[in-house]
Amino acid sequence: MNEALITQIGICIEKGKVNKASPYPGDMIGQEGSDELTRQALSEGIGPDLILQACNSGMQRIGERFSRNEVFVPELLMAAKSMNAVMAHLKPYFQTGTVKAKGKFVIGTVAGDLHDIGKNLVSMVVEGNGWEVIDLGVDVKTAKFVDSVKANPGCIVGLSALLTTTMANMAKTVQEIKNQFPDTVVIVGGAPLSTKAAEQMKADGYASDPQGAVAFLNKVSRN
Amino acid sequence: MTDKQWETLLKVINGETIDPIPVGFIIDSPWLPNWYGIKIIDYFSSEELWLKANLKAINDFPEVIFLPGFWSEFGMCTEPSAFGARTTFPPDEFPFAHKVINSSDEIDDLVQPDPRNDGLLPFVLNRLKLVQPKIESAGHKIRFAVARGPLNIASYLMGSTEFLTTMMMQPDKAETLLKKITTYLKDWLHLQMETFPSIDGIFLLDDIIGFMGEAEFKTFGLPYFKELFNENVSVKFLHNDAPCRVSAPFLPEIGVNLFNMGFDVPLNELKKLTQNKVTLLGNIPPRDVLASGSIEQLTQATSDLINSLEDKSKIIMSCGGGMPPEVSTENITAFIKAVKNN
Repeated sequence: MNEALITQIGICIEKGKVNKASPYPGDMIGQEGSDELTRQALSEGIGPDLILQACNSGMQRIGERFSRNEVFVPELLMAAKSMNAVMAHLKPYFQTGTVKAKGKFVIGTVAGDLHDIGKNLVSMVVEGNGWEVIDLGVDVKTAKFVDSVKANPGCIVGLSALLTTTMANMAKTVQEIKNQFPDTVVIVGGAPLSTKAAEQMKADGYASDPQGAVAFLNKVSRN
Repeated sequence: MTDKQWETLLKVINGETIDPIPVGFIIDSPWLPNWYGIKIIDYFSSEELWLKANLKAINDFPEVIFLPGFWSEFGMCTEPSAFGARTTFPPDEFPFAHKVINSSDEIDDLVQPDPRNDGLLPFVLNRLKLVQPKIESAGHKIRFAVARGPLNIASYLMGSTEFLTTMMMQPDKAETLLKKITTYLKDWLHLQMETFPSIDGIFLLDDIIGFMGEAEFKTFGLPYFKELFNENVSVKFLHNDAPCRVSAPFLPEIGVNLFNMGFDVPLNELKKLTQNKVTLLGNIPPRDVLASGSIEQLTQATSDLINSLEDKSKIIMSCGGGMPPEVSTENITAFIKAVKNN
C-alpha cells in the first residue's frame, strides 16, 4: 500500500489543495491536489475507506487549527473544497454500499437567510466524516425541510442561520419538524445561536463550529 | 440625533468620561417595525409609518443615543439592489437580496452603479429628503452617511462561500470586485453627504471582516476600509458583530473611532486591542439578555459589565450588535436604569 500517497491526500485536505491547477496554497503551486491523488490512489487499488480516513485526519487537523484561531473561514472553506474533490471520486462507492455512510444529514440555511458559509462548512466537514449529506441550500422554507425529513426517514436535520433576524424562522422550522416527526433529531448552529437559544427553540443540539456538529452527529448515531 | 446627543457622542469619542455612561443603540428594521406594532413591509413602504416609528423611539427613550438615527434603509437589499440584485420582500419577514454574480468570470462585466439613479438608493435618499423638515422640527438632524461595507456587499453579490473561495483561488478577481464596490460606496457616501450638509459621520456595517485571518484582512479588507473612511468627518463608525479579534487592532489605522462589536470579546480586551483609541458601543448579549432576559437578569448583566470595566472612558453602553427583534420597552427601560444606577 502506498502510505505516502494516502498521507499526501490528508495533507492536501488540511492545506486546501484541490488540484494541480489551483494556485492555492501558495507553497503547493504546481503540485497535484486531492483530486489527482485520489484518482491515483483508487487506480492503485487503495480502498476508499482508507482514503476517507486520511481525509478525516486532514479535516480534523484543520478543524482543530480553526478552533485554536490559527486558521480562519477561508482556509476551512478551501479544505472543504479539497474534500469535495475527493468525495466526487468516492461517491460511486457510497452508492454501491462499498463504503457505508454513518447516516443521513439534511442541512439548510433557514428561510430569509442567504448566508451559506456556516451551512457549507458543516455540510462539507460532516460529509467528509462519512455521512450522507442532503444539502437543501439557503433560504429553505419549513415545508422543504419537512418534505426532506419525510423522504429520508431517520435522518438528522441541521439548521443554519447567520442573521439574528432569521432566528424566528429557525424556531418555527424546529417546531414544525418536531410536531410532524417528534423523533427526528435537530441540531442548530450559526453566529446568533447559543446553547440557550437552541434549548428555547427545542432543538436537540447546538454546535458552534463544524467539528462540534460532527461530534454531535457521531454521538447521536452511536446511541 | 439632537445637538446635545451629538456633543455627548463627540465628548465620549474624545475621551471625556461621562457619568452616567451614555446609552446608545443601533436601531433599524429588525427591531423598529415589530416594536412599533406594524408589518415590516409597511415600515419599508410607508414613509409616514417609518417616521412615526422612529419618532416614537426617540420620544420614548430621550436619553438614548440612537445610531445612526433615522436610518432610511431597505434591510440587506439596499446596496446590492444598485448592482441589479433581485430583492425579495416577504410581507412580514426581513427582505434579502439574491446574488447576481454566478461565476468570477462575470466580475469584469459588472456594471458600475450610479447611486443617484440605480436600485433602491434614490428611494432611500428621497425618503430622508421628504421627511427632513419633520426630523429637524423634532430637534434632530441627519448625522450619518450609511452603507454596508465592501466585503458584506461582495458576499451578497457572489454568495459568501463563493466570494471567500474566490479570494483564495483568484485574488485578482476578488480585488477587482472590491474596487468596483468601493468606488460605488464612495459615490454613495458622497451623495449622502452632499445631500445633507448636517452629516458629520460615516457608518459602515460589515460582518464578513470577522471571518478572515490577518493576511486576508490586510489584503482584502484594510485598504478598502481605509479608503472609505478617509473622509473629513468627526465620527467614523464601524459595526461588525462577527469575530473581531483579528481586525480590532487595525481599527485606529482605518480611522474608525466608534465601534459596535459582538458580545464575545470583553470590552477590556477590546480596549487593549484597539490601543484605547476607539470608542466602544457594547456589549451585553443582544438576544439572550437584552431581548429575552428577565429584568433581573438584564440588570445583573448590565451591572456586571459596568463593574468589569477597568476604564469607563470611551464607552457607550449598548448590546453587542444592533438592537435585535423583540426587545421590549420594559427591557430597554431596565437597561437604562441599570446603567444609571451603576
